[in-house]
Amino acid sequence: MNSVLVLQSLISGIMMGSAYALLGVGFSLTWGVMKVINISHSAFGLIGAFLAYTLLKWWGIDPILSLAVSVPLLFFVACLVYRFLITPITQAKEVIVASMILTFGVAIILENLMLLIWSPDPRLLTTSYTSKVLVLGPLYFQYPRMAGFLMSAVGVLVIHFFLKKTYTGKAVRACWQQPDAAQLYGVNLSRISMITFGLAVSSAGAGGVSMAFLYSFEPHTHNLWLIYLFLVVIVGGVGNVLGAALAGLIIGVITGLSLAFLPYQWVNLLTFGLLMVILVIRPHGLFRGEV
Amino acid sequence: MPFRPNKIPGSVIVALMLLVPLAIFPWLGPPVYFVSLLFSVFLYVVLATSWNIIGGYAGYLSFGHVAFFGIGAYATALMMKGLNLSPLWTILSSIPAGGIAALIAAIVGYPCLRLKGPYFAVITFCFAFVVDLGIKNLDILGGPEGLWLKSMDLPINVTRAILFEVMMVIMIFSIASSIWISRSKFGAGLRAIKEDEEVAQTMAINAPMLKIQAFALSAFFPGMAGGIYAYYLTYIHTDIVFDVMISILIVLMALFGGGGTWLGPIVGAVVLTLVNEGLSTFVKAELARIIYGCLFIGVIIFMPNGIIEFFKRGQKGCSGQPGASDNLA
Repeated sequence: MNSVLVLQSLISGIMMGSAYALLGVGFSLTWGVMKVINISHSAFGLIGAFLAYTLLKWWGIDPILSLAVSVPLLFFVACLVYRFLITPITQAKEVIVASMILTFGVAIILENLMLLIWSPDPRLLTTSYTSKVLVLGPLYFQYPRMAGFLMSAVGVLVIHFFLKKTYTGKAVRACWQQPDAAQLYGVNLSRISMITFGLAVSSAGAGGVSMAFLYSFEPHTHNLWLIYLFLVVIVGGVGNVLGAALAGLIIGVITGLSLAFLPYQWVNLLTFGLLMVILVIRPHGLFRGEV
Repeated sequence: MPFRPNKIPGSVIVALMLLVPLAIFPWLGPPVYFVSLLFSVFLYVVLATSWNIIGGYAGYLSFGHVAFFGIGAYATALMMKGLNLSPLWTILSSIPAGGIAALIAAIVGYPCLRLKGPYFAVITFCFAFVVDLGIKNLDILGGPEGLWLKSMDLPINVTRAILFEVMMVIMIFSIASSIWISRSKFGAGLRAIKEDEEVAQTMAINAPMLKIQAFALSAFFPGMAGGIYAYYLTYIHTDIVFDVMISILIVLMALFGGGGTWLGPIVGAVVLTLVNEGLSTFVKAELARIIYGCLFIGVIIFMPNGIIEFFKRGQKGCSGQPGASDNLA
């Protein structure tokens, strides 16, 4: 085996994995904290990617700067979705299953809105630095991938410190551990849930941009991303932010290495098969932990 | 609660009054469009009714049921091509095709049915993807080009009428088995599993066995229907017979009508197939899907127990408020 090739695919795997991590963190958070499996999470991520694409194409705004628009916008939309769609079902006995079906509906709506607005053509984020490469000895680093990697790393760390250090973040964790006790201590559960949901969806928007740095995308792509989301959460453990980050990296490395040695179509098969095997062996994640 | 007509002879008469005109219909020389429309109504009734056995009665939401439909389609197509079957034998080969689907369901179900709630939904969803990608990448199975099936040496409308009748027979059998289950000890066991699996097991209900049987049975009819569908289209491709949208539609139809009753999935399948047809005739496909998405949301928020239950409650002046959603899944 060629060691340079292995090292190179390891690097690209880590870069892919960081994007999966940022995309998956919010998904893990809503699942863990709110017992809501948000199937539309990746569709919101794709909206972030499309917004970045449009801003870049029309006004030449850098995809990273586009987050200044898409993150608040997605936060606002997510709060509306939470208030009007998620709240009515939180009293159901099987919130998780009900939320899956409900957000499946949201995902279908978003997907078709994207089809109407952006058409089904595959898109690429083509920035001024797309083709630039940093060469270090035999290895090379593509600039857009590095940008995506940095963005993801910063995003995951921001969410991690938000949960650990700020009052609101601690309230989110409290609601995850003991919703009733948290309410007794004066935490407004529905407000915290709304913030969690908003935060999760806007982090998906950022994750979508880092995915867009790596792959071409079109309105149906979110179905594929969704599988990665489930992989990240199930490997990393539900509600575990750092676990999700680590899981993202592991999955990225596995995909990166298998991409180097397998034809592309078998890689997805491997990924899905892997998810099934992990689900059967360790349905509650490889790492146990808390928010 | 299962729907129980008071007198069985009465309900048989009603069923015959519905079925006999439907059986005669394709022989009266109607436009092909209506035959095909009814054919797909039958198809979705089969799919939703058999999904209901595991999803509605036992509460295990399979999001990958299209896999069994596709497996049946491919099994029939391969048997026809490999063994050079005559039309009659091709139609009959849908029975072993259903058997293969059921066998695969039993094998896959053994590990998967230990997972509950969302985990089961995810693993079945993935399973459908794995089967789809696997078949797409194997050239012996036609690969990305798909498979062509030789049609019967009969006029096209006669061929269609024959397959129409066959699909109707499959539909009758699937509904009959659904009714039988809803009244049998087997069905009572499945409902106990849905209520509380641990308690059911302490009551000497062999939950793992029951779940596997239910899963296999719920895969059998989609497998058969897949075979007949393949023969009806005379062409199969993984993108057609493993379309994720079919999986989702099946779930939506059963829940829309009311999972856990035998009548619910039938009503759901008929209404939603006709709505879908109407929508795709009059508006753009994207808009039709958006309306579909809204239906999903509406069903979950306003009628978590399905449309039948919703109207029953509506008559008592009680709307389907969130508190009523205890029966979901």
